[in-house]
Amino acid sequence: MEKLKQTALYVLDALRNAGADAAQCSVSEGKKEEFNIDAGAFSLLRSVFNSGVSMKVLKDGKMGQAFINSLEKEDIDAAALECVQAAEASVADEAYCIASFTENADFTDGTTTPDRDRFFDRVREFLDEIGQEFPKIMVEQIIAEYVEGHSVFANTNGVLYTQKNANYSVGAMYSAHEEDVTTSFNSFDVDFTDPGSHIMDLGSCREMFARCEAELAMQPLEGKFEGVALFSPACLDSMLSMIIDNFCSDSVIVEGTSPWREQLGKKVACDGFSLQVIPHDVRVVCGERVTDDGYISKDYDIIRDGVLQDFCLSEYASNKTGLSRAPSSSSCIGVPGGDKRFEELLAGIEKGILVCRFSGGEPATNGDFSGVAKNSFYIENGKIAYPVSETMISGNLAAMLKNIVGISSEVSCDGTTVLPYIAFGGITVSGN
Amino acid sequence: MPNGVIFLLNDFIKKYADGAAEHTEIRAQQAFSRGVTLVGGNLVSNTRTRTGGVCARVYKNGLWGFSSKGEYNEESVRAVLEAARDNALFMDRKLKGSKPPLLAAAPVQFTGTETFQDVDQKTLIDFISVLDDYMQKKYPDLASRAVGMRSNCIEKMLHTDNGSFSHQLFPRTYGMISMTAQTADGETVELFDVIGGGAGSFCDFYSDPLLFTDRIDALYEELMHKREGIFPDAGMCDCIIGSSVAGMVAHEAVGHTVEADLVLSGSVAASNLGKQVASPIVNMVDFAHTAFGEKVPLPVYVDDEGTKCEDAVLIKDGILTGYMNNLESAAHFGVNPCGNARAYGFADEPLIRMRNTAVLPGKDKLEDMIASIDNGYYLTRTANGQADTTGEFMFGVCMGYEIKNGKLGRALRDTTISGVAFNMLKTVDMLSDTLEWDFAGFCGKKQPMPVSMGGPAIKCRVSIGGR
Repeated sequence: MEKLKQTALYVLDALRNAGADAAQCSVSEGKKEEFNIDAGAFSLLRSVFNSGVSMKVLKDGKMGQAFINSLEKEDIDAAALECVQAAEASVADEAYCIASFTENADFTDGTTTPDRDRFFDRVREFLDEIGQEFPKIMVEQIIAEYVEGHSVFANTNGVLYTQKNANYSVGAMYSAHEEDVTTSFNSFDVDFTDPGSHIMDLGSCREMFARCEAELAMQPLEGKFEGVALFSPACLDSMLSMIIDNFCSDSVIVEGTSPWREQLGKKVACDGFSLQVIPHDVRVVCGERVTDDGYISKDYDIIRDGVLQDFCLSEYASNKTGLSRAPSSSSCIGVPGGDKRFEELLAGIEKGILVCRFSGGEPATNGDFSGVAKNSFYIENGKIAYPVSETMISGNLAAMLKNIVGISSEVSCDGTTVLPYIAFGGITVSGN
Repeated sequence: MPNGVIFLLNDFIKKYADGAAEHTEIRAQQAFSRGVTLVGGNLVSNTRTRTGGVCARVYKNGLWGFSSKGEYNEESVRAVLEAARDNALFMDRKLKGSKPPLLAAAPVQFTGTETFQDVDQKTLIDFISVLDDYMQKKYPDLASRAVGMRSNCIEKMLHTDNGSFSHQLFPRTYGMISMTAQTADGETVELFDVIGGGAGSFCDFYSDPLLFTDRIDALYEELMHKREGIFPDAGMCDCIIGSSVAGMVAHEAVGHTVEADLVLSGSVAASNLGKQVASPIVNMVDFAHTAFGEKVPLPVYVDDEGTKCEDAVLIKDGILTGYMNNLESAAHFGVNPCGNARAYGFADEPLIRMRNTAVLPGKDKLEDMIASIDNGYYLTRTANGQADTTGEFMFGVCMGYEIKNGKLGRALRDTTISGVAFNMLKTVDMLSDTLEWDFAGFCGKKQPMPVSMGGPAIKCRVSIGGR
């Protein structure tokens, strides 16, 4: 780490020598070991050794950025010069900035003793268990990896953070097959720190495989109706990410196109719904410790009990709009569980759809969305009736949050998100 | 890339070719990239990146070992070769692989003729600033506007143990504009377009920015139509998928299902080889470097396993005739590979990827196609698309028009179309006689990959989403 620190200080010097008024850099080294499983069989072991230097400079109120993957001094010198030249060619903007000094810190997260053999054995055990417990599942691909990173963030205001983190993750893509019937693929990712973890017990693995096998009985849904869409935790993650991008991110707030632009402190969702950014949650693996801007990352609420508390703004967007900078730039989100068990929530739905994956177009600026409900099940009279094929859903992201029918008390944790099932009313469901 | 490094790589490969490993590749790469973006006149992106390194991949008894380092020197070449071999041995020890050696394609020696001329950041910023200024002054009623420019080049040098060598440049440059307008009911609508560009340097495509103002005017006019647009009626309908959307049919709806690795994972194409999967007027090809006598948007001459690139004919007269393969899958299916094994970065292993995938044009005129529909839609722009191994696809449609009694009517708001590829393709009864390429996209499949896709206007039946 000391070598990386010295490199970071060298980068700042190089940027100053090249003419920067202010500068920041992030210097990193890391490695990844990755087992690949393709079409149900191990295929590849991949070892990647990487390094990187990202730079940002301010000069005469202008900004330039550069990235190289070399820690060699002559490469750093050349990149520093190009970075400053990029700034000189830029357009001045008073909102450009680097982080102010608050406090410096060193962070260490995750595992510190990688164990390739043990991890391999656990991955092989996982593959064997899929075959034994879910014989109709075809594993299209599994990426099982150990990722380790060391980095230093520094700027000319005296900010200097060091970070060490390492964790394991498994991402699986799979479908179910029986005679001529093939289901849609589905996928999940789980992050963890113990190479001895029993992978099948992590996240919602077992439940997702079981559901995928059940999808083999899929049938077309006839007609069109407005009903309740019950989103699984994994699918909820993608819907909430769309909500954050469309209503809370830098571009839509600075441009003023977000429907929530003037809604801070106002009700944007039903009572009882909170949307949190949770990099420090104990269930999150190696969460963000330093924001992209260079501040110590903190958990915060975007929505608390239905009321919009904060946007997800960088310091640049904050300066641009006068709104507050988000305490974290992490994508680790959480929604606290509700007061009903999943089965109770399901029992209350007269007509609807359990959506386990959404394949849709980019939502419109106002939040209108439409797309295919993949890996999904028709709900009738409080019960899952049958899995559906070729079924589309449409609605509006903002309206959905004001039409929450219920939130499950169970939450699923995959190492990145902590999310329940949520049932939203007013969703248009159309079949053949 | 310094001279002489080629021979350094070759020496090491020979050394290992004499060892236990069965197939070895070494690839050195460097990539240059510049990106600038103005959003509402604010320069939100002004980035220069330069990355490079070397990787090796070794095959042993059906299992691969791979390693990469972000440095390109003798020490790193030696290190990645050793690590790749160790990884292959680790896998073989654990799994006791039993597949036969790969049958390497005939050795290829290829040095590309593509060139790349870098420009400085100021040139790019000045160019987009003129366009931004034009948009701001001429269309002050826009709710938001953005203009950007990307200029990238990847240089690859590959040696394989069977004597294949290639040295290629993959330059790509393109500009982008997007604009947002407010509707009467307070909502916003958006459109995006790629302006100019292709497989080359900035100076190959761009000189005077004012030559592109007609593209801004045209996009604005479409946006004004969309602002007054309606939502389509959800359900199955007759559609003309415009030529700028047809590439998505080729790439997403069909292309992924006929990638041999996905076929082996059970894609719908596995049970359809040699069968009628489309109307007899439908033909589809993944072009390597030349189509209709001209260079395709993103030409590839040798793939990253050292295979000479040739066209992969996927559908002929409506019959599924082949898959896209790498060396391993080609051996499995007993066919010759066409050079579809491609890796994105120096730290990436080759995967089966598309190159320039297109539905071939037909003989119909677009106006006749529109005239043939009593009640349907003409879909002219797509925002994104996703496909399933079942052939079920979804495209976001961000611009289109209703067709009533054979004539274009009101514009559409954002919507989505979906269907099952081999069902939808059987409903195709007209294809326009024109072909349009989309070359600015990336395909996502573990790694990103620049791809191009194309096609004519396609008349078919698909499911469209409403509000």
